Amino acid sequence: MLQKPRSRGRPNSQAERERDWGRGAAEEAPSTSRGAGSSQEARSASSQGSRRAEASPEVGPRSQQQLELKVAELVQFLLIKDQKKIPIKRTDILKHVIGDYKDIFPDLLKLAAERLEYVFGYKLVELEPKSNTYILINTLEPVEEDAEVRGDQGTPTTGLLMIVLGLIFMKGNTIKETEVWDFLRRLGVYPTKKHLVFGDPKKLITEEFVRQRYLEYRRIPHTDPVDYELQWGPRTNLETSKMKVLKFVAKVHNQDPKDWPAQYCEALADEEARARPETSGPAPSS
Amino acid sequence: MTSNHTPAPSHTQGGPRRAGVMTDVHRRFLQLLMTHGVLEEWDVRRLQKHCYRVHDRTAAVEELEDFINNINSVLESLYIEIKKGATEDDGRPVYALVNLATTSVSKMASDFAENELDLFRKALELIIDSETGFASSTNILNLVDQLKGKKMRKKEAEQVLQKFVQNKWLIEKEGEFTLHSRAILEMEQYIRETYPDAVKICNICHSLLIQGQSCETCGIRMHLPCVAKYFQSNSEPRCPHCNDYWPHEIPEVFDPEKEREAATSRATKRSLRSRQH
Repeated sequence: MLQKPRSRGRPNSQAERERDWGRGAAEEAPSTSRGAGSSQEARSASSQGSRRAEASPEVGPRSQQQLELKVAELVQFLLIKDQKKIPIKRTDILKHVIGDYKDIFPDLLKLAAERLEYVFGYKLVELEPKSNTYILINTLEPVEEDAEVRGDQGTPTTGLLMIVLGLIFMKGNTIKETEVWDFLRRLGVYPTKKHLVFGDPKKLITEEFVRQRYLEYRRIPHTDPVDYELQWGPRTNLETSKMKVLKFVAKVHNQDPKDWPAQYCEALADEEARARPETSGPAPSS
Repeated sequence: MTSNHTPAPSHTQGGPRRAGVMTDVHRRFLQLLMTHGVLEEWDVRRLQKHCYRVHDRTAAVEELEDFINNINSVLESLYIEIKKGATEDDGRPVYALVNLATTSVSKMASDFAENELDLFRKALELIIDSETGFASSTNILNLVDQLKGKKMRKKEAEQVLQKFVQNKWLIEKEGEFTLHSRAILEMEQYIRETYPDAVKICNICHSLLIQGQSCETCGIRMHLPCVAKYFQSNSEPRCPHCNDYWPHEIPEVFDPEKEREAATSRATKRSLRSRQH
């Protein structure tokens, strides 16, 4: 016979949360994620809902409204987190939003993903298979005129990132950092000099873009002086494609993508691979 | 006989209002609207037209109010809405995407540290308690020692206050701070629930009031744009509650046409000047 878990004196998790709007996102969400007692109960109970409701009165049957509110919170959390372009970890989702609703996490995530796509046009995808981190991909194509009506800088569709992505692809998918600066110097962009538009280009390329998973930055062993290599990161493959980047490079040179036959073939092969039906969806890997 | 319109909403247990339909026009609009904390009506119309141009050039641009109501009916189940308000000083209509269920997952909470949020809360309390709706920089900074979280020096707090201004949570006027229309739109519910005794309400529109005019006899308050509308072309303004003479200057009703004329003439003057170099 399972004992009633000792409550830590929280009256109503929702009411408490309503007073906590000001809490930093780093703090644990109040009540629902604390209370080791209640989560243990949930784990020891069987997976059947009705028995769990009996065994763990704290969890209990949830109303339609509570579920709706949970999905709403999850949608907002994902939108806010993605705005910073940092991949969202599943552990953070569980800690800050899901809490007591851990048992139905896959369903909540699926519902949230559906709403995100239908309402906002964002697709929730896992950064890499089994990584348990997510990003939002825009199903709408960005348009140049968007820049005139938006309130922030938006995703870098043109500009420094695209140039670097182009460089990497044209050089065979990997490039040394020294080669990047050799090229950018010609455009008036230096690693040590502050740039009017890009600010600190070195920090942008080797830290910001890496953190956002657009680029991978790895040290090349046994190099003296130390050199690093740059490659496309997992977000780049999800947000854009070799063909799109090739078209960008071609446009910049006022030429046709076919003028680079090797890269064009590679881009075509990539397009074909993408056209094959996807096997992985937004559902988290168990 | 078949009807073309969709069936009436079901009446099961107060079932949900029949939600509108989202198209890419609405989605792009929402995406771009979200990049602004708050947006003036004229810019919202511009944004709407842009979205039609991108996705549906041939369609007629829907009346803004209907367009937004349609989106809001879809957003309802997500506990957010595009809320319309007005700036308290000159009554410009503004829009913001706000959270209806105040939870810890709030836009402000994700952008600021614990001590910064507490500084905002302190400033908010001073603003609400004040008679004018403004809190002086000095008074806010004096509370720096009481903040939760990491210790903050006054110099740092000054910068944080500027961050609030840049992000449109506060407005600064001559060293004093009041709430930006963005904060009022987003936090009205929270403020009314948290400070039920200190909060001031407008006698005309019954919304939260931070800045406004008050009757010196009976104490009722009104927003400046509400005063403007209520006493429009009234040569003898009297308090709607106690009928005493209204002692304050009656502001002008906001006129979007006049505003645009002024803005374009400023822009033309600027471009003429620059061409002369």
